Amino acid sequence: MENDYSPNIAFIRDITQETSNTNTYTLEPYDKIMKKKFSYTPGQFIMLSIFGIGEAAISISSDPSNNGFINTTIRNVGNVTNAIFRLKKGDLIGIRGPYGIGWPLDKAENRDILIIAGGMGLAPLRGVINHIKNNRDKYGHLEIIYGARTPGDMIFTYEYDDWKKIMDSTIHLTVDAVPYGIKWDYRIGLVTSCFPGMKTHPRNAIAFVCGPEIMMRYVAKCLENIGFNDDQIYISLERRMKCGIGKCGHCQIGQKYVCKDGPVFQYSDIKKFIRPL
Amino acid sequence: MKQSTDFFLLEKNGIDILVKKFLEEHKVFGPIKPGHDSTFDEIKSPKELHLDYISTVLPPKKFFHPPTENLFSFELIENTEWTYKETLHDEKTVLIGVHPCDVHAILRLDRFFSEDFRDPYYLSRRENTIIVALNCIEPSEYCFCESMGTGPFLEMGYDLLLTDIGKKYLLETGTYDGKKLLDGLKLEKADKKDLYEKKKLLEQAKKKFKRHVNTDGLSALLDDDTHDWDIWTKLAENGYPGKSFPCLSCGSCSLVCPTCYCYDVYDVIDLSLKKGVRKRELDSCQLLEYAEVALGGNFRRDRRERIRHWLMCKFGMAAGGDKSGCVGCGRCIRICPSKIDITEVARIIRGE
Repeated sequence: MENDYSPNIAFIRDITQETSNTNTYTLEPYDKIMKKKFSYTPGQFIMLSIFGIGEAAISISSDPSNNGFINTTIRNVGNVTNAIFRLKKGDLIGIRGPYGIGWPLDKAENRDILIIAGGMGLAPLRGVINHIKNNRDKYGHLEIIYGARTPGDMIFTYEYDDWKKIMDSTIHLTVDAVPYGIKWDYRIGLVTSCFPGMKTHPRNAIAFVCGPEIMMRYVAKCLENIGFNDDQIYISLERRMKCGIGKCGHCQIGQKYVCKDGPVFQYSDIKKFIRPL
Repeated sequence: MKQSTDFFLLEKNGIDILVKKFLEEHKVFGPIKPGHDSTFDEIKSPKELHLDYISTVLPPKKFFHPPTENLFSFELIENTEWTYKETLHDEKTVLIGVHPCDVHAILRLDRFFSEDFRDPYYLSRRENTIIVALNCIEPSEYCFCESMGTGPFLEMGYDLLLTDIGKKYLLETGTYDGKKLLDGLKLEKADKKDLYEKKKLLEQAKKKFKRHVNTDGLSALLDDDTHDWDIWTKLAENGYPGKSFPCLSCGSCSLVCPTCYCYDVYDVIDLSLKKGVRKRELDSCQLLEYAEVALGGNFRRDRRERIRHWLMCKFGMAAGGDKSGCVGCGRCIRICPSKIDITEVARIIRGE
């Protein structure tokens, strides 16, 4: 019988430091067949295992054209992530997945795309941005609004220049606060403070939102206010998962499993369970 | 595999012969009575079996989805390289004396653990288990299976079915596996009179229930998100005077619930730091840590949110749907230190 609880093995091929407590790991499945078969949509997640410590659900931050290499961007906040931070290039890690439902890239075709991310919420959306970059003619206007606590908390900063060069795109960066002595040329304020300068019109647009749940609820409300329908908004939820395959129950939200029915949900489907503002 | 049903009669002591036959090739589990209460445990000799029981503290869920179990063991070879080995159980087992509510609960868990991703641990045990069910003649003061459509008599889900019809047991076959288990036994055929007796007993048993619940329209009431949080606040924080005390979030209800499947997964490593096991352990949404995420966030921090989630789940309104829904066994009512009664909650929600 196939056992979904057994992790496969992957090499850590590269580690990129994003911020003082966040790294991006490039993983390569040990098994050649698994490497070949490993296909995913941005927004899906994997279960990473450190034997003796445990497992954690981590989203994939690369886009599928990455030739069997998988990027995951991890902030050091708990037992498992702490153990992952002790690993070096060339070390092995347990991997299961990919699991869940990613961003609806097919539904987004020929539409304007609004990406709103807060903090680590950019990780599952990076694959979407790079996918659009590589398939530019399939999608309409691309607008990215990214907010973080401080400039030093922003991730993937080395890719912003590439993103700015994407045809027919707009990028807004904003932070909550700028520490003394740090140079910051962009906005200070919540992600929603970028809304007045937003180019995307709700007509024929689709919004992908990921960040802390309180931010997503607020963003969804503001999007509704400017004319977005609930079915044009997609959000990606965070829960601590123990199995990733819809059995352990921990990620239940109302009548949905975040691991199996999500983590990306159409806002209209999940609205009543997260009690909107 | 559904087969044509055979009906037999079994003397009261004929159960011994049956158990002896089962013990030849199977591990046998059934209700025993070590003290005041009954419990499901391994039967090594027929005289240990205590079929005349009302209910057990823990449901037979524990045989398929144990309170704790090892998923696999692992061993570090050097540095970060490791091997691991799964722990699957596939012993041939007979579970005897399971009441209809518990059989229905097992059928729901069967569906739950085999949908989408199949759970090999549950299913390998389940597929090697034969269920000899026992119809209920005497419901306890906590039982309300009749209201939930899961009892007191069973119509599906058994390999063999026993009914105490007074001086003898009526034995019915449900599956080919069940029938095969009786091979070589000389059994008296039952006649129409015995079947009539069973029917009569069923009607009598139905009248003996002290607890009833009407679940009609409950899901529609609960699905309405404008629904009053007042009920949950009272259940969790204030209690209903004369009915229940505030919920203690002890999690006993989910522990004794035959359809609660939620579990936690963790690693245990031995002192050498080289070997360990990954375990899973029953968990409860009533516990504070259950919906915790990184950096201390918690999606059900309030007690009222947690008791609401559990009760919604039992009314089939959580992610498990009817697969984690209530079967009316009454165990949670009996065990609750705060006297919270799920049938009473249903009445409150319905405004009765």
